[in-house]
Amino acid sequence: MSDRNGYPVIDRSRRGPYPPTEEMLAEPVPQEEQEAQQRRLREVWATPKGFRYWTAVNNTEVGVWYTMTAFAFMLMAGVMALIIRVQLAVPENDLVSADRFNQLFTMHGSAMMFLFAVPMFEAISILLLPGFLSARDMPFPRLSAFGYWCFLIGGVFVIGSIFFDAAPNSGWFMYPPLATQAEGPGSDIWLLGLSFIEVASIAAAVELIVGSLKCRPPGMRVNIMPLYAWYVMVVGGMILFAFPPLIAGDFLFELERSLDWPFFDPERGGDPMLWQHLFWIFGHPEVYIIFLPSIAIASMIVPTVARRPIVGYSWIVLSAVGTGFLSFGLWVHHMFTTGLPNISLGFFSAASESVVIPTGIQIFAFLATLMVGRVKVNLPMLWIAGGLAIFTAGGLTGVMIAVAPFDFQVHDTYFIVAHLHYTLFGGMVFPVIAGVYYFFPFIRKVQLSERLGRWAFWLIFAGFNICFLPMHLTGLKGMPRRIYAYPEGLGWDWLNMISTVGAFIIAAGFAVFVWDLLRPKGHQPQIPRNPWGGGTLEWTHDVPAENWGVRSIPHVHSRYPLWDDPKLLERVDAGRYYLPDSKQGQRETLITSVIDAEPMQVQKVTGPSWISIWAAIFTGACFILPTFHIYWPAAGAGALAVACIIWWLWRDTARPPEVERKDVGLGLSLPTYASGPASVGWWAMWITMLGDATGFASVIFGFFFYWTARPDFPPEGAAHADGLMIAAAAILLLSSWALTLGARRLNWSGRIAGARIALGVAPVLALLGAAALAASVLHLSPSSHVYPAILCAVVIWVGAHTGVGVVMQLYCLAGSLAGKLTPNHDADLHNVTLFWHFQALSALVACAVMGLAPLLLEAPA
Amino acid sequence: MTAENDTEHGQPAEPEKDRELAEFAEERESLLRITFAPLTWALHFVLCYGTVSLACIKGLIPLPYTRAGLIAATGLALALIALIGWRAFVQWDVRRTGDFTNPEGHAEHRHQFLGHAGFLLAIISAIGVIYTGLPLFILASCK
Amino acid sequence: MPPAPCHRLSPPARALRALPLLLICAACEGRQSALDPAGEDAAVLLTLFTVMLIGAVILWLAMNGMFYGFTRVHRSQISKTTANSIVIGGGILLPTLLIGALLGWGLSILPDHQKPGDGLRIRVIGEQWWWRVEYWPEGADTPVISANEIRLPAGQRTEFTLTSDRVIHSFWIPALGGKMDMFPGRETTLSLKPEKPGVYRGQCAELCGASHAWMAFEAVVMPPGEFDAWLEQEAAGAQPAEGTEEGRDIFFREGCAACHTIRGTQAQGQVGPDLTHVGSRHSLGAGRLGVTMEEFAAFVTHTEDLKPEVRMPAYDHLSEDERAALAAYLKGLE
Repeated sequence: MSDRNGYPVIDRSRRGPYPPTEEMLAEPVPQEEQEAQQRRLREVWATPKGFRYWTAVNNTEVGVWYTMTAFAFMLMAGVMALIIRVQLAVPENDLVSADRFNQLFTMHGSAMMFLFAVPMFEAISILLLPGFLSARDMPFPRLSAFGYWCFLIGGVFVIGSIFFDAAPNSGWFMYPPLATQAEGPGSDIWLLGLSFIEVASIAAAVELIVGSLKCRPPGMRVNIMPLYAWYVMVVGGMILFAFPPLIAGDFLFELERSLDWPFFDPERGGDPMLWQHLFWIFGHPEVYIIFLPSIAIASMIVPTVARRPIVGYSWIVLSAVGTGFLSFGLWVHHMFTTGLPNISLGFFSAASESVVIPTGIQIFAFLATLMVGRVKVNLPMLWIAGGLAIFTAGGLTGVMIAVAPFDFQVHDTYFIVAHLHYTLFGGMVFPVIAGVYYFFPFIRKVQLSERLGRWAFWLIFAGFNICFLPMHLTGLKGMPRRIYAYPEGLGWDWLNMISTVGAFIIAAGFAVFVWDLLRPKGHQPQIPRNPWGGGTLEWTHDVPAENWGVRSIPHVHSRYPLWDDPKLLERVDAGRYYLPDSKQGQRETLITSVIDAEPMQVQKVTGPSWISIWAAIFTGACFILPTFHIYWPAAGAGALAVACIIWWLWRDTARPPEVERKDVGLGLSLPTYASGPASVGWWAMWITMLGDATGFASVIFGFFFYWTARPDFPPEGAAHADGLMIAAAAILLLSSWALTLGARRLNWSGRIAGARIALGVAPVLALLGAAALAASVLHLSPSSHVYPAILCAVVIWVGAHTGVGVVMQLYCLAGSLAGKLTPNHDADLHNVTLFWHFQALSALVACAVMGLAPLLLEAPA
Repeated sequence: MTAENDTEHGQPAEPEKDRELAEFAEERESLLRITFAPLTWALHFVLCYGTVSLACIKGLIPLPYTRAGLIAATGLALALIALIGWRAFVQWDVRRTGDFTNPEGHAEHRHQFLGHAGFLLAIISAIGVIYTGLPLFILASCK
Repeated sequence: MPPAPCHRLSPPARALRALPLLLICAACEGRQSALDPAGEDAAVLLTLFTVMLIGAVILWLAMNGMFYGFTRVHRSQISKTTANSIVIGGGILLPTLLIGALLGWGLSILPDHQKPGDGLRIRVIGEQWWWRVEYWPEGADTPVISANEIRLPAGQRTEFTLTSDRVIHSFWIPALGGKMDMFPGRETTLSLKPEKPGVYRGQCAELCGASHAWMAFEAVVMPPGEFDAWLEQEAAGAQPAEGTEEGRDIFFREGCAACHTIRGTQAQGQVGPDLTHVGSRHSLGAGRLGVTMEEFAAFVTHTEDLKPEVRMPAYDHLSEDERAALAAYLKGLE
C-alpha cells in the first residue's frame, strides 16, 4: 500500500453497483428523509439575498443576467440600425454626419456580432445546458460569473463610446490601413474592448465544452445526449479555433497602433491583407458559431412539436460536425475581390458551396421529423417556421455569392446586406426568439403571452421582408454598402424608403416582444411542469422554482427520457437517483466519463463570491486604460487581476477534500478528488491551450504570410535575431519544462523535497530563457520594418506565456509548501505540466522560426 | 451492496464491465475518430491553398507541376477518406442490424452510432475534397 | 403528455413570392445597375444571376412548400424509410449535383475578369476620395493624365492596373462588370469589355473613410474612333476659354496650383486631381456634382459640406463675383 515513499495510494475507483437495477430504483425513499434532503439542498444552493445577490454564480442567475445584457446590447444596436435607416430613407440626407454614420454602422455590426450573437449563445447555453444534462450547475460557476462581468464591463465600454462620439468608425471588420490610420481612440476601443470580450467568450466556450463532455447524467452516452449538447461541443470547438486568430490579429494591430510596428503598413514591408486573412478566419466561422446554436434550439423544439423523436439524429450530428469543419475553409470568400490567384479563389468558392450540403441535411432532417410526426404547431414553432423561410432564402443567395464571379458584382453592395440579414435573422434571431417562448416556462416558471407573441411574430416577419427583400435589388442596382448618403436618380430612392419603413415595422415587433418579456406576470396562474410536452430532462425542473437545478440526477437510457421512462419524473422528485443530498453542505455535481457517461467523481463546485467581480473589474481596467494611453495604472490593474485570480484559485479549487469519497445514492460511492485526465480542470486546461496554440500559430502564420506575399521579407541586409541567444533560450525553456514534468513525477512518487527543488529551479530557468529570448532581438528596431517587428511580436507572445508559466510553477511550489499540493492531490501540478507541454512546444517553434527560418528563407528562390 | 475491496492497491482498477461493454469498449479517442475524415479534408484544403500560394504569389513552383501534384494529392485524400468511410461503415453494421437510428442507451448502439456518424462525415468530406479538386481541373493559370 | 397549444401555421413569407415580379418591373433602370449591362462581362454575370435566381426561387418554393405542407396537412403516417430517403435525396444527392454543376460553370467564367486586353491599359490610383487616372495606349512610354472620369473604347477589352495611395478602395463599374480592390503598395488588375456606348457610373465599393459615399466617377464608353480623338485632345495642354483671365488669376492667387495641375500653365500641384480638362468632364468632385457653373462655384465654397473631411479647404471667403469668375475659368478648361 505504501509503495510511494510512505504516501498511501488513495483508491479513486467507483465502488458499488452501476448501472442501477430496476429493483433499486423501485425502492421508495422515506418521506422524512426526502424532506431533510430537500432542506439541506435548498440551503446549500440558496441564492444570496440583498446586495449580495450580485455575488451569485449559479447558472440560473448568471445565465439570466447574461441573456438580458446581450439582449439589451442587441436593442441598442437595433436603435443604431434605425438611425442608419432614417439617414438613408431619402437621398442627400444630412440627419447625421458622415463620421457619425460610420461610427453607427461600425458599432451596429460590432455590437450585433460581439455583444449579442456570440454572447447570446453562451448565455443561453449557460442558462439551459445544465437543465438539458440534469447537472446542478456548470463545472466552473465562478468562471461563468467572471465571464459575465467581463462581458458587461467590456460591452458597456465599447458600446458607450458611441455616446461620446469616440466610437470606432472603420467598419466592424476594421480593415487597415483605414483603421490603423484612424484618429482618436475609436480603433483602440474596438481592439482592446473586444479582445477583452473575446477572452471571456473563450472562457465560456471552454466551460461549455467541459460541461457537455463531463457533466452529463449517468448513462447519457454520446449517442443519446440531447442534440443541443452536440452543438455546444461543436460550437465551443469552433470558438476555440476561430477567436484566437482574431486575438492574434488584434495583438499585431494594437502593436501597430501604439508602438508603430508596421505589420499592416505596405511602405515598411507590412501587408493589410494579413489582417483580412486573420479577421475572416475568425469572421466566417463566426457566422456558423452564431447559426448552429440557434439550429440547436430548433432541434429541441421540432421533436416536441412533431411529438416524435428527431429523425436522423446521426444526420444532424454529422451536419453539425461537418459544418464546423467546412466553415473554416470559407474565409477568403469575403476577399474574392482582392486580386488573389484565381485557383485560390476557386478553392474557397468550392468550400463555400460544399458547406451548403450539411446545412441542407440539417433542414431536411427537420422536414423528415415533421413528416413522420403528428404535428401540433405551437407559438415557438411558428417562429421556427418563419426563421426557416427566411433562412432558406438567405442560404440560397449565399449559394449565389459563393460563385466567385457573381460575387465580383455584388460584393460590398446592399445585396450582401440583404443576404447576411436573411441568414442571421432567419438563422439566429427567429430561432432564439422561438427559444425564448419555448423555454420561458423553464426559466421563469410563467408563460409568455400567446397573443402578443403572434403579434410580435407577424410584425417582425413582415417588417423584415419589407426591409430587406428590396435590398437585394438596391444592391444589384449598384448601391454600395457603408455609404452615408447617395445622390438622386440612380433608382435607389424608393427602394431605400421601403426598407426604412420595414425597419420601423421590425422595431414595432420588437417593442411588442420586449413588453411581453417585461410586463408584470405575478397574477398569472401556475404553469404545468412540462407545458409543451417535451421529452428531455430540462422539463424535470421544479415548479415553483428551486435553486438546486435537479432534485436528484437521474440515470438515463434514451434520448427522450421523459417520454420513454414514465417513472423517471417521480423518482427524480423523490430523490431516488444520484446526489439527492448534500450532507457536508457543499455545492456538488456529478462528473461522468466522456463517451459513456459512467459516474466518475463528485465535483465540488464553487459558490457565491465577490472575487469574480473584482477579477473582472481589474481585468477590464487592464484592457481599457491603455485605450487612453494610461499604461502604468493598467499594468497595476493587471497585477491586481492576477492576484485576484490566484486568490480565487488558491482558496477554492483543487484543495484536498475533507473526505476522499462519498456515497452518492443507489449504493454508489465515488471519489471527491481527481487529477490529470480524470479531472475537469485538466480538460479545461487542455481545451484552453488548444485555443491558445491556435493564436500562436496565427502569429507564426503571419511570419510565413509575409515571406510568401512580400518580396522584401526579410529585406536585404536585414539584421537577424541573435542565434546564440535563441539557442540559449530554447535550452533554458526546455529545461524549465523538463523540471516541471520532473516535479510532477517526483511529487507523485512521494519525493516531495525533490519536487520542491525542481519547482524552485524551473521558474528561474524559465525567466532566464525569456530574458535570453528578449536579448536576441534587443538590437532590432521593430518600427523600421515588418521583419524585425514580427520577430519582436513572437518574443512578446512567448515571453508573456513564460510569465504565466512561471506564476503557475510558483503557485505549485507554494501549494506544496502549504500542504495544498500533495502526492495524492496533484491536480494543479498536472494542469501546470500540461500548460508547459504547450509552452515548450511554442518555445521550440518560436526559436526555430526566429533562428533557422531566416537563413533558409534568404536563400535565393 | 458491498463495496469491492480488490482495488486497494496500485493502479485504480478498471470500472467493472460486462461482456457486451468490453466488446464495444472504446477509448477516449473514439470521439475524435469521427473527425478523421473532415480532418483529411482540412489537410487537403490547406495543402492546396498553401501550395498554390507558393506557386502563384511567390513563384516557387511552376504551376503545371503544382496542379499535377495537387490532383494526385486529391486522389490520395479521396482514397484515405474512402478507407475511413469503409471502416466507419463496418462499425455502423447497418447491413446486419438495419438500424439507422441507434437510439438505445447501451454500448452497442453507441458503437454503431459513432460508426454511422463517421460514415456520414466521410461522405461529406469526400464531397468537399471533390469540390476542392474542381478548380485544379478547370483553371489552368494563376490569373 | 399535457396537450400542447395547437395553432395552424400561417403561410410563410408571402412577401418573398413577389421577388421575381419586383425584379422584372424595376430591373432596367439606372446608370449604375448590374441589371442593365453595357459590356460583355456584366452580361455574362447577369445571365449567371438569372439562372441562379430561377433555380433559387424554385428551390425556395419547394422547401418551404414541404415545410408548410408537413406542418399543416394531416395525412396518413409516412414511414421512416421514406423520411430517410427524403433526407438522402434532398439533403445530399440533389444539392451535390446542382451545386457541383453551378460550381463548374462559375469556375469556368472566373478567369474572364482578367483576360488580356486589346491594347489600351488604364492605371487608376485610388485617393481619398477621388481617382487619379493614367491612360497608357499600346506602346506609349508616357501616360495621358486625367482624373475622376474613365473613358473607354466600345468593343475593345481594356486592362486596368489598380492601386491606391493610403487606404483600400474598390474600383467598380456595375454596368460593365465586377469590381476589384485597390491596395496601397500593391497592384491588382481587372479587364473590362464595354459594348454599348453611353455614360455609366462607377463608385468606390470599399469603405475608405468619411467621404466614401462621394467617391464615384463617370465611365464614358465611346465608339473607338471618337475615343482616339478624345484621347489626343486630352493629351494636349489646357486651352482656357476666352475672357476667363480673372478666374485664372484668382486660381493662382488662392494657391490652387499648389495642389492641382493644369498642364500648359504654372499649376503643377500633385496633391489633388488634375484639372487640365476639367470643364469637359461629366462630373465634378469625383461624381459629387454636375459641371454647371453654379456647381463649380458651389464646390469651391462648400467643399467640406459636399465632401466631408476632404483635404481641400472651402474657399468661402471669396466674393460672389470671384466665385463666378473662378467657376468660369474652370468650366472653360475643356
